[in-house]
Amino acid sequence: MNSVSFLPHLWRFLGLAAVQILIFNPIAPQAGQYFSVLLYPLFILLLPIKLPTFYAVFLGFLIGLFVDVSTGIIGLHASAGAFSGFIRNTVLLAFQPKGGFSGKEPIASPAYFGWAWFMQVATVFFLLHTFWYFSVDSFTLVYLGAITLKTLACWILSMMFVVFYGFLFYPKQ
Amino acid sequence: MRSIFQLLIRSGGFLAFAMLEVLCFYLIVRYNEPRAEIYNYSAGRMGGAIQKRWQHYADYIGLQERVDSLAAENSRLENLWRNSRLIQIPYRDTFLLTIADSILLGDSLLMRKHVRPAFDYIPAEAISNSINLNNNWIMLNRGRRDGITPNSGVITTKGLVGIVRLVDEDFCMAMSLLHRQVKISAMLKREGAFGSLIWEDEDPQVMTLKFIPKHIEVHKGDTVVTSGFSQMFPRDAMIGTVIDSPATIDPENPYFFAIRVKLRHDMSKTKDVMIVKNLFASQIDSLNQRIKDE
Repeated sequence: MNSVSFLPHLWRFLGLAAVQILIFNPIAPQAGQYFSVLLYPLFILLLPIKLPTFYAVFLGFLIGLFVDVSTGIIGLHASAGAFSGFIRNTVLLAFQPKGGFSGKEPIASPAYFGWAWFMQVATVFFLLHTFWYFSVDSFTLVYLGAITLKTLACWILSMMFVVFYGFLFYPKQ
Repeated sequence: MRSIFQLLIRSGGFLAFAMLEVLCFYLIVRYNEPRAEIYNYSAGRMGGAIQKRWQHYADYIGLQERVDSLAAENSRLENLWRNSRLIQIPYRDTFLLTIADSILLGDSLLMRKHVRPAFDYIPAEAISNSINLNNNWIMLNRGRRDGITPNSGVITTKGLVGIVRLVDEDFCMAMSLLHRQVKISAMLKREGAFGSLIWEDEDPQVMTLKFIPKHIEVHKGDTVVTSGFSQMFPRDAMIGTVIDSPATIDPENPYFFAIRVKLRHDMSKTKDVMIVKNLFASQIDSLNQRIKDE
């Protein structure tokens, strides 16, 4: 990550964390338990493709902790963020194009791989993130049914905002 | 140092993930009350379950030791119980002494010198047994090393089992009660009349008490115990109960009854036994020999 490509990630970090903290998090308690949007994982997904997992885990943890400070449950989003950072490379490798990533595409964006590919990757990535998040939130797998319902509801809503974000910014770096 | 750091960055993803998750877990439990309660409840339940399982295994591992100690304790109590009835000290010889001991020592220590246990009980286990032959034998896991000598009785807490005949270093063979040559000196406990107990039937639970005179009143359910006249068994050791009513006359000898006795100990379930060793066997044998010589 040189200084040229560092700034877009910093802006994305701040922007997505702000939206999460100022908009989505305050709405969730009033809109009901099945209404919650998690958009900040997009920052983790859009980190440089070649970034080692080690860094992705720490950056995921960092943005999660940032969000946690506003909710008051320290460690919840941080745990989900670290988890997403850990599985990110595995998900990308599972969907890598034939012949692997060429190195010319800096991030896993629809601008380089097309909408169809991006949606597949984002679908799996967000599904895993939300499931982990609600599992840790419940802190027990006794309520697996409720966890699954919340995961699906949150995942559908989040994906809508992911698409919206993609169209709005169409990130290239 | 630099290469270690590079290695950590290349392959330390899982390590970083695991460490941060532990940190998150700690933060959640530390600063969040509802989740702390869930954690404490789950940890308590899991801890309890683990402890319960561990206790179960610990109990199982210690089972043999407990069985051995119980067998030893049983044998010790058997010694005490049997021998306590064999203490026969003349009143005139011991009354003052015993009282004096009790007062002076508080435990009548000297009185013990007068007590002469007649039998020793050695716990043993049957390692083979039969009940379906004419002459049945039982192999026991005690031998010469354990102080076993031929002609020792074999009993359980329920009743008689047999008589030791052959002794090897570590094992011995006992003639089962269900052996045609076995003859036990037994008596009717209520009447005190004694006779000989032999196995005539095919039934492994029934033996015949012979040579009980016809004038003796015999009732169904009367207890049959050892007479104490044989040197192999202590007196009053349980054998069984009378099942005949009225008692039948012995066809071979019309002046005596032949009473059928149901054994209290089920010979088919012989497992843990005690070998009865007469501590004065050599003295008694020697006396008997002298009588024969004269």
